[in-house]
Amino acid sequence: MTTRWSRLTAVLAVILLSGAVAVGALAQSAGKSSLIGKLEGPEVVTDAGKAPKVFKEAPQLAALVKAGKLPPVAERIGQDPLVIKPLKEIGKYGGALRAGFTGPADFWNGFRCCSGPDHLMFWDYTGDKAVPNLAKGLEMQDNGRVWLVHLRRGMKWSDGKPFTADDFVFWFEDIYRNKDLVPTPTAVMAINGKQGVIEKVDTYTVRFKFPEPYFMFPDVLAGSTDLAGQWGGYRGMGGFAPAHYLKQFLPKYVNQAELDKKAKDAKFDSWVRYFLNRNDWAVNPDLPVLSPWKTVTPINTPTWTLERNPYSVFVDTAGNQLPYMDKVVLTLAENLEVLNLRAIAGEYDYASRHVDLGKLPVFIENQQKGNYKVYLDPGDYCDLIIKFNLNYDADAEIAKWLNTADFRRALSLGIDRDQINETFWLGTGTPGSVVPVDSNKYNPGPQYRKLWATLDIKKANEMLDKIGLAKKDAEGYRLRSDGKGRLRIEIMTLGGQFVQYTQISEMIREQWKKIGIDLKVQEVERSLAIQRAVANEQQLSAWNNDGSEHLFTFPTHVFPFTVDDVTTSGPLYAKWFRSGGTQGKEPEPRMKELMEKWKKAFSVPEKERVQLGKEVWKIAAEEVYVIGVVGQGPAAMGVRVVKNNMGNIPSRMYNSPDGKTPGISRPATFYYK
Amino acid sequence: MLAYVGRRALLAVFTVWAISVLSFVIIQLPPGDYVTSYIAQMASMGSVVSDEEAQALRIQYGLGQPIYVQYLKWMKQVVVGNFGMSMEWRRPVTEVIGERLWMTVIVSVAALLLTWTLALPIGIYSAVRQYSPGDYVATFIGFIGLAVPNFLLALVLLYLGFVFFSAHIGGLFSPELQDAPWSFERAWDLAKHLPIPALILGLAGTAQQVRIMRANLLDELRKPYVVTARAKGLSELRTILKYPVRMALNPFASTIGYTLPYIVSGSIIVSLVLGLPTVGPLLLKALIAQDMFLAGTIVLLLGLMTVIGTLISDILLVWIDPRIRLEQT
Repeated sequence: MTTRWSRLTAVLAVILLSGAVAVGALAQSAGKSSLIGKLEGPEVVTDAGKAPKVFKEAPQLAALVKAGKLPPVAERIGQDPLVIKPLKEIGKYGGALRAGFTGPADFWNGFRCCSGPDHLMFWDYTGDKAVPNLAKGLEMQDNGRVWLVHLRRGMKWSDGKPFTADDFVFWFEDIYRNKDLVPTPTAVMAINGKQGVIEKVDTYTVRFKFPEPYFMFPDVLAGSTDLAGQWGGYRGMGGFAPAHYLKQFLPKYVNQAELDKKAKDAKFDSWVRYFLNRNDWAVNPDLPVLSPWKTVTPINTPTWTLERNPYSVFVDTAGNQLPYMDKVVLTLAENLEVLNLRAIAGEYDYASRHVDLGKLPVFIENQQKGNYKVYLDPGDYCDLIIKFNLNYDADAEIAKWLNTADFRRALSLGIDRDQINETFWLGTGTPGSVVPVDSNKYNPGPQYRKLWATLDIKKANEMLDKIGLAKKDAEGYRLRSDGKGRLRIEIMTLGGQFVQYTQISEMIREQWKKIGIDLKVQEVERSLAIQRAVANEQQLSAWNNDGSEHLFTFPTHVFPFTVDDVTTSGPLYAKWFRSGGTQGKEPEPRMKELMEKWKKAFSVPEKERVQLGKEVWKIAAEEVYVIGVVGQGPAAMGVRVVKNNMGNIPSRMYNSPDGKTPGISRPATFYYK
Repeated sequence: MLAYVGRRALLAVFTVWAISVLSFVIIQLPPGDYVTSYIAQMASMGSVVSDEEAQALRIQYGLGQPIYVQYLKWMKQVVVGNFGMSMEWRRPVTEVIGERLWMTVIVSVAALLLTWTLALPIGIYSAVRQYSPGDYVATFIGFIGLAVPNFLLALVLLYLGFVFFSAHIGGLFSPELQDAPWSFERAWDLAKHLPIPALILGLAGTAQQVRIMRANLLDELRKPYVVTARAKGLSELRTILKYPVRMALNPFASTIGYTLPYIVSGSIIVSLVLGLPTVGPLLLKALIAQDMFLAGTIVLLLGLMTVIGTLISDILLVWIDPRIRLEQT
């Protein structure tokens, strides 16, 4: 029954797709090249000598200053502003950015656009190098064991209270170390499993102290980690928090009975949930923040509105306090189709997060009518990967093959990546292995793009014959070596994602017939997917490896790292790795080598780390623990639709969760011409 | 009569309790819990929830406790009017549902009114003028209305609206009035957005009611009391409206039991397609996210409305149809 259904879907998919291909070809002749521009973006000016000395502000803030309701702009910004050189020109104040969001779970949407980002360090526009951001500077001492964070003098929270080292110590002592608020410590506050501490040196200097060298620390502060600003506040993370505001919600500073009553009045069953709710950037309009905009109507209402923060420390090179735009208004779309249709109709000024690549031709067709322009922001990673679960053990025969390197390699050689690229990426992707884009600093070399990642049916068949799968049945499928009939393997997919995993897997199913492999495509509901991953019941699974271009802050799709995940390449290996070898299962030698190299990189200087990173990718590409199919395409949040009257818009931006894209292009510098 | 109502009311309370248990259990049945669906949601948006964070969330939400403990905890709050905190929306359930409930009622009542004002006259007409061209046209449109799924109609209208009128896509308000306080302008804006959803929601119902009215009335028209009324010289209009139409209305009364919950949930798919801020999409999302308290409360609300609706229609039937006797003879 399932087979018949999947065949039917395959046929349907092919019919629908041939239409899509035709339109896609049209779109392509309009020019893939004109849609993908040059990578560019604004830059942080770190040279204090070049910082502006005189500041200007938005007209409505100037009026407030005049009325005596707000201190003068120079006082609000402080002595060490965070200077950003806009991409093209100095902008104009005013206007509201209209965009869409899909509900309270879509909180990344607002963090990506409007939080600044409020990281201490952040990436330059290439996504390669961590540069000072909210921190004025970062100083390494004691061979990487101690890191001094220098804060900006006179910098303030959005309520005008000073932002100082006390906010770090408060976070560390009263939030992070409170077992009720944070039951399990975060891995990024530790090196080799040993936790570090945060101390105050003086008002504007904070000391992070670790028992062992932690050379990765600047990247950890820059990436989307637990130490990267207020986005983690709703679960007690962040590295700092507004002490003067949050103390009123902590039993340590107020009467416990009164606090319990307050929590109960707000309908929370404990002070813990209440505290975390009050520390949520997207939910609590009263929370003091450091971002250029702050929430005024929260994310759990039909319109999520953010307004300029009068104490924003961000300025442009001419001394204008950022942001330029007064407001960001995100309206709730009940489903993705409505969101896409609104974007096509030109009702949004900016959209990229939920824009569907499959609708690219329609977006291009309506450019003039909607008065917008379409840009593509390909990622640096693979948009479609297939993970082998190396720990699968429900069927010994299948487990054996999943753990045979030549089996994995042969399967990879059996995929026609060009066909998939043309059909699903409209030709905009790059076929190849799992390794990140060639310009990535951890890329092991151009030869690894094609390693075991080209179509070679003859070789694949030879390899499969050689490892002991030479016998076939009447229909040409290979037989199991234990004599129990045909070798059938199963791939698990999820529907409703940025990438059409199920439909692509159906195409791979057809392609693998030529190498005698019978693939069963099983689309499951997402909670079931996780349960199966954790229970070690997945065989193969389709996903993307976005984020893995930052190998050390986002390793989860490179090797078994997370146990609770939608797709898995080995839950027992992940447990083994996370528990320091006390639980789970010890990996095979090559995998162990890969894991050790990855771990070692945190405690060595950058040059050596880059070398280790390359070696990690080398092993990953050679062993094909994960098949790379098509990558560096715009499938995940890479189709960007922007109104023509907006300025300082890059023609291409670095697209990654770590870069909080479009945060990496500093939307605070976007403006209406 | 009073004893009958009392007995029915008592049974209704018991039914509602049973519904609360059932709804809680059913929501727990699918694999995983709120945290697994949260992890999946984060994963599909390109971020990863660490194992430590997942564990912390389970502790904070009390998801590790046995199901009956979770149920009792919830019930203890419900009896004092606190339906708990929605995990996904991070707000009290009553607030989340509250603001959408009114929109839902407005949309559904508009659809119901439209259904009845169209269905009754058309039904009467096509019964009285059976096999006339008018009857054939009404029957034809009626069957089309029944056969076309209303979400499809919503998609088609949405597309036509976009291509020909560049109309604002989806929703019940123009963007600039979305959050404005109630005013004449905002009410007028709502009135302008209302016809399309009401039409889409009402069409299938209208078709159905036309058929029911027609069939019932045809049965009645042939009965001797109609002939008697005519023989006594009553005007045709009066004859029909006063006697057979009244009898033919019975099914309308008995469907109130389904109509009440329909007012809340009838618009799920259409609301999703049109992007209406009603309870429907909320329920769907809550079920997918396994947001137990929110989903549980909505299901409970639907159950309650079915029970109340049935109660009302039982009482109403006794009242309008003298043939129904309470005492068994």
